[in-house]
Amino acid sequence: MMGLLVFKENIKRLYAKCSLYLIPAVKFCLGFVTFYLINENIGFMAKLKNPVIAVVLGLVASFVPCGVTAFFAGCLMIAHVAQVSLEVALILLVFILVVMMLYYGFRPGDGYLLLLTPILFFVNIPYLVPLLVGLSGSLVSIVPVSCGVCVYYMMMYLKQNAGVLAGSTMSEMAARFVQIVKNVFGNELMWVMVAAFAAAILVVFLIKNLSVDYAWSIAIVAGVITQLAVIFIGDFNFNLPISAGSMVTGIVLSVILALIYQFFMFAVDYSRTEYLQYEDDEYYYYVKAVPKLAVSAPDVKVRRINSRKAVKH
Amino acid sequence: MLNEEKIRLMTEIAMFEKKAQKDVFPINRYFKGDYISIHLIRSFAVYTLTCMICLALWILYRSEELLNTMEIRIFTAYAKNITVYYAAGLFFYLAVTWLVYFRRYTAASKNMKIYQAKLRRLEKKYEASASRESEGEQRR
Repeated sequence: MMGLLVFKENIKRLYAKCSLYLIPAVKFCLGFVTFYLINENIGFMAKLKNPVIAVVLGLVASFVPCGVTAFFAGCLMIAHVAQVSLEVALILLVFILVVMMLYYGFRPGDGYLLLLTPILFFVNIPYLVPLLVGLSGSLVSIVPVSCGVCVYYMMMYLKQNAGVLAGSTMSEMAARFVQIVKNVFGNELMWVMVAAFAAAILVVFLIKNLSVDYAWSIAIVAGVITQLAVIFIGDFNFNLPISAGSMVTGIVLSVILALIYQFFMFAVDYSRTEYLQYEDDEYYYYVKAVPKLAVSAPDVKVRRINSRKAVKH
Repeated sequence: MLNEEKIRLMTEIAMFEKKAQKDVFPINRYFKGDYISIHLIRSFAVYTLTCMICLALWILYRSEELLNTMEIRIFTAYAKNITVYYAAGLFFYLAVTWLVYFRRYTAASKNMKIYQAKLRRLEKKYEASASRESEGEQRR
């Protein structure tokens, strides 16, 4: 444990020292992974599928706010989608426009969630999103997370039906549009996941604010149970195509990552909790003070002591 | 000689100014009513535009059905339903807008008061040090 705490302190020191370079580097990684995953999964336009494009866009993303990166990702997605189906591109465009105008008009600063949710779906740990958002975000973040889930399932629909959609003629456009809307918005799995994520964010957010010991750990476990419960109820009602193996793997990985996140963000020592009670003219105060777990990183200085050269006789 | 307390105060003020440039100072240029009204008008325009886009998509979705039933009665019923949904949504969205910007203005005003108090404290410290210096010169 002590080693981990020292490691954490070292990371904090490194961040404080090099944040000027670390923040753009992290933003580059996030941007590059986003554009790369979009190209890999729905890269229907050959010109944009080039990895150099992902690198260049990633470089741009390292200097602009996350909201702008999300906008670029949306444009890239629509360009790829339009290559296969103009109808899906239109639906996606309207969806993104509506979300940006209605929600991001308030400047909430959580545009990265719209990107992060589909990315974590692609790497099979989507269950991590509600845990992190519930622990550190606000309840309003349910909106971008839900939209991220919808964007992912739209992309999946397109990926699975690209052949059928690309082969259709223009005369069938109206009928195809109706079919696509029905399929995309009638996808029960998408709504079940939206419900599971929203419920989990709510549960995690409420529990982590409780004044009980190990509130964050309890919140993580409760969040996972909530997600599982909603998915099982959805599966029971709609017979959803969910693979149990990948779900269990994803959930276990998500819990481990959430616990690592907790270690970095909320490391406290409950064994040294103190309860105070005092009063002023108007109130009685019952205060619970939980000390943070902290160690000072060892400041290692190497002093070289040159031994005298042995005199040979 | 360095005045540690003054330096700390100046650092706090500089940090606040850096953070407040985006959130607090622009808000403080308006009266509360004006600030909220501007955003309500903006939200009204945005919501109406969004509804028009969604309506266009809905017409495209129902185009076949609409073309097959060219009856004034049905169109009137559709128009009535759309107006009700639009009005209900607009009311909800404007209520959310009012709440968000009311809270934002209140928070900004509170922060501005703290900032002004810190500025006053700093000014007093400057005045105190200036008076000390003048007293010293008079003694000489």
